[in-house]
Parts: sequence; C-alpha cells; structure tokens
Amino acid sequence: MIKRDKEKLIRYLLPVVTAIIFLILWQLTAVYIVGDSHRLPSVVEVFDSFLYSIFGEKGSLLLDLEISLYHFIIGMSAAIIVGIPVGIAMGWFKRIDQAINPIVEILRPIPPLAWIPFAIIWFGLTHLSAGFIIFVGALFPVLVNTYSGFKNVPKVFVEAGKVLGCSSSLSQIRYIAFPSAIPSITTGIRISMGVGWMCLVGAEIFGAGTGRNGLGKNLWTYYNLYNIPMVVVYMLVLGLIGLAIDMAFRYYVDRLTLKWQEEEVR
Amino acid sequence: MKKSLYWFAIALLAVALVLVAGCTGTGDDNGKDTVDGTAAPAINSLSFGYQPSTHQIAYMVASDKGMWKEDLAQFGITEITDHKFPTGAPEMQAMMAGEIDVAYVGAAPVISALANGLDARIVAGVQVQGSDLVIRPDIKYESPADLKGLIIATFPEGTIQDTLLRNWLSENGLDPEKDVDIRPMGPGDATVAIAEGAVDAVFLPHPAPSVIANEGKGVTIVQSGSMEENHACCVLLVSGNLIRNHPDVVDQIVKTHIKATEYAMENQDEAAEIFQKMNKIDIDVVKKSFSEWDGKWIEDPNMITDSVVNYTDIQASLGYIKKPLAKDEIFDLSFYEKAVETA
Repeated sequence: MIKRDKEKLIRYLLPVVTAIIFLILWQLTAVYIVGDSHRLPSVVEVFDSFLYSIFGEKGSLLLDLEISLYHFIIGMSAAIIVGIPVGIAMGWFKRIDQAINPIVEILRPIPPLAWIPFAIIWFGLTHLSAGFIIFVGALFPVLVNTYSGFKNVPKVFVEAGKVLGCSSSLSQIRYIAFPSAIPSITTGIRISMGVGWMCLVGAEIFGAGTGRNGLGKNLWTYYNLYNIPMVVVYMLVLGLIGLAIDMAFRYYVDRLTLKWQEEEVR
Repeated sequence: MKKSLYWFAIALLAVALVLVAGCTGTGDDNGKDTVDGTAAPAINSLSFGYQPSTHQIAYMVASDKGMWKEDLAQFGITEITDHKFPTGAPEMQAMMAGEIDVAYVGAAPVISALANGLDARIVAGVQVQGSDLVIRPDIKYESPADLKGLIIATFPEGTIQDTLLRNWLSENGLDPEKDVDIRPMGPGDATVAIAEGAVDAVFLPHPAPSVIANEGKGVTIVQSGSMEENHACCVLLVSGNLIRNHPDVVDQIVKTHIKATEYAMENQDEAAEIFQKMNKIDIDVVKKSFSEWDGKWIEDPNMITDSVVNYTDIQASLGYIKKPLAKDEIFDLSFYEKAVETA
C-alpha cells in the first residue's frame, strides 16, 4: 500500500520537478549566459508578457485563442468529414482506390502553405480560408490511416461476417470493417489534429479570418515588432493547447472507441 | 529510481549546455567586437540583405555589375553573399541574429528593431516615396472618406506602409482600427487578394501597384508622396560591429551605394533588366513601374532624418515601440559626409 502511494506520488511529482528544473535552467541561462532577451527571453520576461497578453491594454490572447480554435474546428471537421469517407471508399473498393490513389499521392506532399493563393481565391479572407489551410494539413493523415485501416481488415473477420449474414458491402463496412479499422482511424485523427494545429500559424498569417486575431496571426505580429518574449508566450500557448487537445481526444475518444482493446494492449 | 533520476539530471544539463553553446557561439571570428582596444580581426566576407522591390535597385545594380566585390576587395573581402527577404521584419531578425552585416530595408522595421536592441545605424538613404494605394476599378473613390468600410491589404504591423497608411487615415479623419479593415500580408498575397476581390484596396511598394494595374485589377488613387512628401522608405543599414571595427569598409559600402544609385538613375532600362533578371517580374511591368511611381532613389540620409524620427513618434503612439527614438540612436551620418567630401 505504502509502496503504491509512493509510486503514485513520484508519478505526479516527477514531471513537476522536471518542469521546475527546466524553468530554473532556462532563467539562469537567459540571464547569466545569453544575456539578450532577443536570443533567449527569460522566464520572468515571458511570464510578464503572458500577463500583459491577457490583462494588458492591447493584450488579446483569449480572443486570439477563441478565433484560432474556431479555425481549427473548421479545418478538422472538414478533414474528418472528407477524409474518413474517402479513406473508406479507397480502402474497401479496389476500383475507387485505383482511380483516386494517384491524385491523393500527388496532392499529399504539397505543403499546406503552398495552398494560400487558392485559399484566398476560393474563400477570400474569411475564417473558411484559414480553416482550409488547416484542412489541407489535417486531411491526409485521416485519409491515409482510414485507408490502411480498411485495407488491413483481417480476412477472417470478413468471412465470419459473411457467414453471419453481412452480405452487402454496406453491412460489411458497417459491422465488420469499420469497427476493425477504428484504432487506425483514431490514430489518423490524432495525428491530423497535431498537424492541423501546427498549420495554424501559416493559416493566419495572410490576413484570413478577422485579420486581427488568432494565435498564429498575433504570434506573427509580435515577431514583426521584435517582441520575442511575446512570441514565446504564443508559442507556449500553442504548445499547451495542442497538448490539451491531444489529451482530451485520448481521454474521451480512446475510452469510447477503443475500450474493447484494453485487454489486448495491457 | 535514483539512478534514473541521476541520468535524467545529466541529460538535462547536457541539453542546457548545447542550448547555451548554440546561443552564445560566435560562429567565426569575423566581426568580433574588440573591447580591449586591440585591432579587430580582419573580415573576408560580407553578407547583404535586400527585398525584391524596385526601391532597392541600387543593391541589385551593384551586385549585378560586380561593384561590391570589386570595391571591397581592397579590404580583403573576397566573398559577398546576399539573402532576399519578403519584408523588413525577417530581414531585421536575421541582422539581430548576426546573419547579415548590411541591409537594404525599410526605415520602419529598422526603428522597431533598434528599439528592441539591434546594434546598427542607418548610414545612407536609398529611396523616398514609391508606394501606391490601389483600389479595385469597380469602387468609386473621390476622397479618403470613401475608404470607410473597405478592406485594405498592406504590409504587416511595423512596416513603412502600415505606419504611413494608418497615419494618413488618421489625418484624414478615419480611425484605422474601426473605420477600415487593414489586413497585414505580403505583396504576393495582397496582389492575389485584390485580383480576386478578397480585399477592396492595397497599399504596397512598387512594382506591385504596376503589376496589379497591368492586370486591370486596380487603379492607383493615392501615391505615398502625397500622403507625406519625401517620406522615408528604404535605407542602407550597417551593423554596429562594422561601424566600430571596420569603418573603412563602411566608407566603401556607402561610396559603392552612391555609385550604384547614380548608375541606376542614368541607366534605367539596364536597371530594369537587372531587376527583371533577379526577380522574375516582366520587364515591361518594371519599366512601367519606373515611369509611374512617385519614388526617388536617393543617397543622402539627411533628406530623411526628420521623416524617420517622425515614424518613431507614430510607432510609439501605435504601441509598436515603447518610446520614440532620437536621431543619433538611428543614424550615423558621418560616413555619408565623408563620402561626399572625398568624392
């Protein structure tokens, strides 16, 4: 019992101690070794900037966060709505795979930033335009993972399904392939959320959305004004929100969809 | 557990040391400050920054004609490198990081950078005016009041165009925060945006206004010279290290800049060809830009000192910098004076 409590304590304490050591090392390095806030702002400077970004006269962090999450939701929703059905169709139907695969493989390596001209042309400088850049970054991990999840459905599952009455493609997808591919699909969504979030800066630097707010937009604004401590604040917020999104996804979605796997994994 | 903690601490320290080494490394001895009064180490290379704008034609002419290499060889400089930047902000960031020694750049990003600790001074003027407010042909414009409610694309916060536009709108009774929607973006994005109707107007340096007009997508309604006569735009900025430790090199840089500027003014068709070669913009558009713009290539920094100091007041009032800068914090006029005296 005592050993278990100790283990629990260490599990929670260790990351905190690590973070504190990291912050101390950062502060000491910034102040005593680098001594130039443009090369490495200190923890204190960054914390001051963080307070300003929320409570300061021109601070807009919370509004930026709201706008960026809106862009992210647009992009991710579109990526899931398009990526999963197309991935299923390609993974399950050979002819569709043969027809679409070359197009997917050509489009997949194109960096999301290269789509900025088309984002402006097709969607103007709207929130959709920013969402589109995130969509481009997030689409392919969902699509490819769904595709490979469906490609790798064990044949024995399909045969068993047929024996049990799943004769049509639709019922085989619904009752056999989809549940079997869920681990792969959720992995794809998780990867795409990370990629989509990383596209946020690129999605907001060309005046899309309000043109004034967004984590990416104002990270760039502070960069243009050489306010490096504020740049670090926005970088850290991007990192922390990205982490929170991933943790929330894992907590809820993994629990809901992959509960059956628990015994296999552990 | 203890052992793993021990290794973890060592790993953290190692990472910190690597970071420190990366942050404090000088790379090479070139340009190292001498604090003890000894002679500065010789330099054999110089790195220039510039932007693909006709404003900075002097750099491109000097580069294409081999003037930098030829003129600076006497100081042991055998290698000239350059970096092209889309706007002034990344250019100044590169200078702060010690990646470039000399910059052809807008005066406004210089102010923001100097206010945030950049060690450099403006040693010569490069050009004044030369940006246009271009509006979609289907929008009626008679006075600045007609801009109310419109979306205007311009360079990002802290640039000449952003500073000038906001100030001009304020002077004409429009609140740049509320009455118009200013969208910060690069020249390429802004050109696409006006062509597609995503914005109503753009305020950009040349040759972008000519490119837009050439496509029939916009009409120039105000030239920046009428917003502020002879307003400062691009300048020649040199690192503090070069100024302190290699003043003879800076002397020559200013002289070469003067020579290249005069060459460009006297040989505009050739200058247009050089610009076209270095920036892939249609030669006819470049020539059209030269004939239409209100910009002037200059050398004398005295022409723009008041204008630049005025920018620092505007930037401070916009909250971009904490307090305005004084003339001596921005300029070192001695190199130009010397160059003129010895000419």
